[in-house]
Amino acid sequence: MVLSGPKKEVPAVAVRSVTCPGCGGAVTIRSFGSAVNVVCGSCHSVLDAQDPQVKILQKFKDAIRQNPLLPLGSRGKIRGILFEIIGFQHRQIEADGQVYGWGEYLLFNPYQGFRYLTEFSGHWNFIAPLRTLPQAHTPGAQSDRFYLGERYKHFQTATAKTTFVLGEFPWQVRVGETAEVTDYVSPPRVLSTEVSSDKEINWSMGEYITGTDIWQAFGLKDQPPPAVGVYENQPSPFGSQPRKIWRYCGLLLGLALLLWIFHLSTAHRQQVFSEAFVFDPAANEASFVTAPFEFEGASTVQVDTAASLHNQWIFINFALVNEETGKAYDFSREVSYYGGVDEGESWTEGSPRDSVTLPRIPAGKYFLRIEPDGDHTLGKIGYSVAVIHDVPNSTWFLIAAPLLLLPAIFTTWRSIGFEHRRWQESDHAPATSSSSSDGDDSE
Amino acid sequence: MMNPKLYLFYGLTVVGLMGFAQYAGWSLASVNEAKVIPRSVRDNPGSYRSVYSSYHHYTGGK
Repeated sequence: MVLSGPKKEVPAVAVRSVTCPGCGGAVTIRSFGSAVNVVCGSCHSVLDAQDPQVKILQKFKDAIRQNPLLPLGSRGKIRGILFEIIGFQHRQIEADGQVYGWGEYLLFNPYQGFRYLTEFSGHWNFIAPLRTLPQAHTPGAQSDRFYLGERYKHFQTATAKTTFVLGEFPWQVRVGETAEVTDYVSPPRVLSTEVSSDKEINWSMGEYITGTDIWQAFGLKDQPPPAVGVYENQPSPFGSQPRKIWRYCGLLLGLALLLWIFHLSTAHRQQVFSEAFVFDPAANEASFVTAPFEFEGASTVQVDTAASLHNQWIFINFALVNEETGKAYDFSREVSYYGGVDEGESWTEGSPRDSVTLPRIPAGKYFLRIEPDGDHTLGKIGYSVAVIHDVPNSTWFLIAAPLLLLPAIFTTWRSIGFEHRRWQESDHAPATSSSSSDGDDSE
Repeated sequence: MMNPKLYLFYGLTVVGLMGFAQYAGWSLASVNEAKVIPRSVRDNPGSYRSVYSSYHHYTGGK
C-alpha cells in the first residue's frame, strides 16, 4: 500500500455550508450532491442534506460522544489518491457478553468516490466497496468466500449497532440503527458484508494498514494509538517464515545426514588391541601395562571395557601412552552393574559394558597403563579391554540435528500462537480457553 | 522470531561445525591429554598415578 502525506499544491475542495435548524451552528457539506445525511458538529443532530430546509432527522440524545482519532476535514493520500475525511461513525457489536466498539471514517474524493477507514484497538483497515460479488461454494453465511481466486475464511458474524455519528454520509444514517455484519479474512485483506435492516446488502474489501501509515498519510503530528492484540486480518509477522525455515531445515538436515553417513562409511574401525584381565583386590599393586599396539594415522580411538559383574563395580584408570614420545592420555571409566528383585519385580542398574571415544590421537606406537580398583571386600573381577582405532563419532550429528530443528519448531510454535490469538476472537475460536493479548505481535 | 536467511547462516554454521568436529575427531570424553610421563612406567607401572586415581568411586546400587 502506497501512502504519502498531503501536498500543499493540492487545490482545496469546494464546500457548502448550511445552518443547523437545531442549534443554529454552521454545518459544512464537502461531498456536494452525494451527501444524504449530515450531522451537526455542535448538537450532533442528524440532518437531511438533500432537503433545502435541512430538516432534522434525528436529535442527539443518549448517544455516547466519541471523539474521532482523525479530525474531520483532514486530507491525506492513500494509494496515491487524495481523500478527505468527511464522516465518522462509531459502531459496536456484542459477543459473549462483551461489547467491542470501533470507529469508521468516511473518506471522499470527488473523482474516486467514497472509501472507508476503520479502527479497532489501534488496528486500521482501508476499505473500498466491491463491484463484483464474492462466490460461496456452499450456502450459508459461515461458508468461506472466494474472490479473485483467493479464499476468505469466515471469521465472524454479528449485529453491529451505530452508537455515534459525525459529519456527512451518502446514506441514511441514524444512531441506533443495526446491520448484520460478516467478515471473511485472508490476511492482510478482509471481505465484509453488511445486511441492513431493510435487507440491503453491501460488500466491501478492506486491507490492513498500520496506524503509523495513516498518521503519515494525513500528516498528523502525534502518535497513533498502539495496536493491541491480534486483529482479524492483521498480517502475521511470521508470514511465510516457518515454511522457508522448514525448507532450509530439511536441506541442512539432509546435508548433515550426508556428512554423517560419509563419516560412518569412511571410518576403518580397526581393532588394534584386545585382552582379558582379572582384577584381584588382594594384590599389592593393581597397575600394569599392556603389550604395545600401533595406530596408523591420526584418528579417534575407542576403548571398550566389559566386566563380569554382579552387584559390583570396577573403576579403571587408563593411560594411553605413546611409547616413543612418552605422552599419555589419561582417562578413567567406571563399570558397575547391579540387579535384584524388589517386591516381586526384577531390576537392574548400570551396565557391565562401557565404551569411550577418545579425541583424535596422533599416529604411533602406544600401550595402555591400566590401574583397576574395586570393592576390596568382594572377590576377583574378570574384565576385558579392547582398543579400536579410527571409529566414527555420532555425537556431533546427534547434537547438530536438534540444533537445526529447534529454531524451526520454535518459529512454527510462535506462528501457530499468533494464528491462535487471531482466531480466538472469531466465531471459530479454538477450544482452549487460554488467550494472550499482550500486544507482543502488534505493529 | 528468526529470519530465514539468518537461520540458513546459523544452520550452515552448525553443519559446518559438525563436519569439522567429525573430521577433526573431537570428542566429549574427558581426557587429560599430552602429559609426558616417565619412561620407567613400562617397567614399573606403579610409578605413575593418573589424575583420576583419587576419583570417588561409586558404591551404589538400588
